[in-house]
Amino acid sequence: MLQGALAGLAAGGLYAVIAVCLTLMARLVRVVNFSQVAIGMFAAYLAVIFAEQHLPQWAATAAGVCVGAVVSGLIGWIIAQWLPEAGIGARSAVSVASLLLLVSLSFILFGSKPKTFKSLLPGPAFSVGNVVVTQVTVVMVALALVVAVGCHVLLTKSKIGTKLRALSERPTTAELLGVPAKGLSIAVWVGTGLISAAAVSIVAPTQTNDPISLSFIIVPASAAALLGGFRRLDLAVVGGLALGMLQGALAQFEQMSVLRYWVPFLIIVVFLLWTQRKEVWDVAR
Amino acid sequence: MNELILDDVSVSRGSGPVVSGVSLVVKPGSLLTLVGPNGAGKTSLLESISGIVSTSKGDMSLDGVPLGKLSRIKRSRLGLVHVEQGRTVFPSLTVQENLELTAKSPAGVDEALELFPELHKRRGSASGLLSGGEQQMVVLARAFAARPKYLLIDEMSLGLAPVVFLRLLPIIRHIADSGVGILMVEQFAQLALKIADEAIVVTGGRLTYGGPAEPLMADPALLHRAYLGIAEV
Amino acid sequence: MLRANSFPARGPMKPLAIAVACVLVGWLLSAVLPSYFVFLGTTAIVAMISLLGLGIVTGSAGMMALCQLSFAAVGAWVVSWLNSVDAPGGLMVWLPLGGLAAAAAGVVVGLPALRLRGVNLAVVTLGFAAAADLTLGKIQFPGTQTGIQVARPDLFPGDRRYFLFAVIVLALCSLLVHFLQASRWGSGWKFVAFSERGTASAGTSVTVTKLTAFGASAFLAGIGGGLLSGQVGLVYPSSFTTIQSLALYVLAIVSGSYLIDMAVLGGILWVLVPELLKRFGISQDWGFVIFGALGIQSLTTGSNLGADLRAMWWRRTQGRRKSMEVTSPTAAVPTAVTKPTAARRPASSASVSGSPVSEAGALLSVRGLSVTFGHVTALSEVDLDLAEGSVTGLMGPNGAGKSTMVDALAGFLPQHQGTIQLAGQSLNGLSPMERARLGIRRTFQQDRVPPTLSVGAYVRFIARGQASDKRVEELLAFFNCPPPSTQLARVDVGTRRLIEVAANMAASPRLLLLDEPAAGLSHEEHVSFAEQLVQLPARFGTTLLLIEHDLDMVRSVCNDLVVLNFGEVIASGQRDDVLANPQVMTAYMGELEVS
Repeated sequence: MLQGALAGLAAGGLYAVIAVCLTLMARLVRVVNFSQVAIGMFAAYLAVIFAEQHLPQWAATAAGVCVGAVVSGLIGWIIAQWLPEAGIGARSAVSVASLLLLVSLSFILFGSKPKTFKSLLPGPAFSVGNVVVTQVTVVMVALALVVAVGCHVLLTKSKIGTKLRALSERPTTAELLGVPAKGLSIAVWVGTGLISAAAVSIVAPTQTNDPISLSFIIVPASAAALLGGFRRLDLAVVGGLALGMLQGALAQFEQMSVLRYWVPFLIIVVFLLWTQRKEVWDVAR
Repeated sequence: MNELILDDVSVSRGSGPVVSGVSLVVKPGSLLTLVGPNGAGKTSLLESISGIVSTSKGDMSLDGVPLGKLSRIKRSRLGLVHVEQGRTVFPSLTVQENLELTAKSPAGVDEALELFPELHKRRGSASGLLSGGEQQMVVLARAFAARPKYLLIDEMSLGLAPVVFLRLLPIIRHIADSGVGILMVEQFAQLALKIADEAIVVTGGRLTYGGPAEPLMADPALLHRAYLGIAEV
Repeated sequence: MLRANSFPARGPMKPLAIAVACVLVGWLLSAVLPSYFVFLGTTAIVAMISLLGLGIVTGSAGMMALCQLSFAAVGAWVVSWLNSVDAPGGLMVWLPLGGLAAAAAGVVVGLPALRLRGVNLAVVTLGFAAAADLTLGKIQFPGTQTGIQVARPDLFPGDRRYFLFAVIVLALCSLLVHFLQASRWGSGWKFVAFSERGTASAGTSVTVTKLTAFGASAFLAGIGGGLLSGQVGLVYPSSFTTIQSLALYVLAIVSGSYLIDMAVLGGILWVLVPELLKRFGISQDWGFVIFGALGIQSLTTGSNLGADLRAMWWRRTQGRRKSMEVTSPTAAVPTAVTKPTAARRPASSASVSGSPVSEAGALLSVRGLSVTFGHVTALSEVDLDLAEGSVTGLMGPNGAGKSTMVDALAGFLPQHQGTIQLAGQSLNGLSPMERARLGIRRTFQQDRVPPTLSVGAYVRFIARGQASDKRVEELLAFFNCPPPSTQLARVDVGTRRLIEVAANMAASPRLLLLDEPAAGLSHEEHVSFAEQLVQLPARFGTTLLLIEHDLDMVRSVCNDLVVLNFGEVIASGQRDDVLANPQVMTAYMGELEVS
């Protein structure tokens, strides 16, 4: 049980990092980015290709992550250019189409079979009793915390953070005051693309890593982000870690594997029904 | 050519024209008050100047620079600030942060706060928690901190008690006197005309009066007719 | 090409005739096409039926549903299971059963949609699709281990005959969709996509409307899945992956599959694009890359194939019509309705009936109504009585709380304090829908008239069966509105507001709340509209509360006035008394010192 929960912590760390990215995107650029993990997946696969060209592993990974950030920025640019005033639904729908596009493109470029990833962080970090904690787990949990705290500090303490928050609260007013809306939102896309690409690149060697399985990590990650209501970074981190551990623990029992598939969905449904149990009337509609 | 010039400007929205052929000039340091009934196209006119909506006809220029298809950001960099309807503070930002958004330097924040000394002690509060009047003070101070050449103000008084609005009016005049050209839309016509250099009346998207404010103030019937659609008073 | 008309029927015969013609074409195709294309054709039809479903939930009702093929899998699973247990009836019976099972699954997944909007729903459905995908991989379809093929109907053996069967099923599904879209349900879907508030104020449950959209969509997907299992015999999960669901969703957007013919075109694209790629020796994965790119293009420009083709067609026929009959007036597209100025009634005739409000005869009685939004007090301790058959004007400067008042009366602000009674019955705690059904109707300041509907469908939806076709036409004529067959998209905003008032009158409400109904009308139209309003209480027994800025109109229509300022009543009573009150002008114009 504990072994399983700790084994799930690496995945939980990934969920948490992605959930933080999703929360930032929803808050700052009004998009639930369904292609968030697919961008990371694309970057991780590119890194494999680069490594096959005799690039050192770290350089290949870095190059992949950079391309991932550029791809993310490109999607962001498309949305900022053509849907600047659209609602979150229409903007998010674009990310559904880009998810489809990225997954199919990686089938073409990389094939649909899982790749052999060289692990960046091989081996165990330490063990508690007879339970082994891998380096990847430690790094991922740390990354989740660092990203969440870092983003929080950036948003509340820096000048650019002030501008981003202004933009998220009143985009038109901010623009009228000279806050460069388009540039900043593309920067957010590039930033979250960078973070999620790095996170996926670290975890991919330890997961079932065909393009589809990796891309649909978006489901548990968005469940975690929903726990924070797509607003709170701390709850997104906690939700991601808890979800990973829960799935890890359930994986210990073979007969429960179907239930494990449904955990993110059930959490999403139960949580949403609870938080939105009262009928509310949308101001705009 | 230091003027904000609108020449024969028309604006269309889904349903048809909302502003038709309006021409006007805002000079630095002068205050124009724009009055007219609801739905007359006042807000649309301001929005077309700041670039929120695009014009369907006509030309605009700011100090000789044609505004044409310039983005909102570029217009704001030319020195145009648009204060929209409603209390457009950024609610989670503190008063200080709201002002820092536009101020060129920390000293600029302090100068802006001097317009409203009562805001000093609220510097660190989230602006969403202030009263309506205080929020409008923040909005006005924030606009001033941007050091605009031209300022568009839309219905500053919305939902404010006249007493509170009276506190804001002299500040608006003061900003104009510091050399800023101001175009102000206001439903409280009588109050707003008092500080105006010129008055403009818009009905049905057309300019129906343009000139000194005094005749309108002296003859309320003239104003009532234009403003409320009253045939006889 | 198969084609079915998706515009509202003038009679039920035309769509039936088109359906029969389509089946005949299908029969012909099944005889002449090479067998490979016949098989592909069946695959396309499965996609078409699923796209029809997506057209309802995504196109009409505007919800993001990313699990269409999971519903199809439910249908396929049920059909395979019925086949493996040798259930009686054969495929023709199993197919609808599969559809119903999928509809049930759709309603269950749609349950969270009761409260969810837009993007949250997308998260839920994506979660469902991913989980269903993995689960199917684990449990497989019944019969695949034992190799029991799903039996085709005796009448339709062989691929060619089965294709014909699929065409018939498609024709039936298209008819179903056509009639559903023209029904109250269909109007409800388009309504809820445009405005949830508008839906509830029409006395229609937002919840039920969303669930029917989800259920109908899943039903169609289930039928598609069942049809597929008959086509391939042994069903594998690879036909229902999440990524294919996403592709189908994107395709539904690209093609505009809320139009039946566009769903058909979408289904053709679904098989044609990969097939062409295969012919040219290109990886078929490019197909989804193309769909993805088209999806981004379509979403960013807000267009789709259906709308584009329709617009092109309309322009062409309009152009031709113009060149053919230059002189004849085009009655179908009234832009601004001009009123044949009837004998101008003296306004005072209306106010004769208006007696001072007495407590006993009050239709609506409000006591101590307060509404706060955070720190802002929008209404405080408002008392209001409306006498039966009166026309009361609600005035005040912008931001005084007038619209908040209407919202509170209509039930959109359940957190308000104080009591609201309609004819002695307390309304506290009742939802907007329940209040609408009790006879409180409202119109909106912003345009809440879905442009996707025709005038007739809109009025019938608002009236909720309270008005006969004849009465609908009478009311439309009374307010000088365009005829029922006109599309609302072609009516200007001012006239839409008149249609909104006419539609709400068709519901025979006891109390009608009008929130600036005359905004967007010219001064002359104002006057004629005022004359129409004055007649409403006597003719239809409706009491009116009117928010209005135009003092001319207030004078000619209202017998009583209530003036709000800063959420408080500053004056109320008979019209002339209130207008003579110096405080009122002060509030209105900000004149502090009254000369």
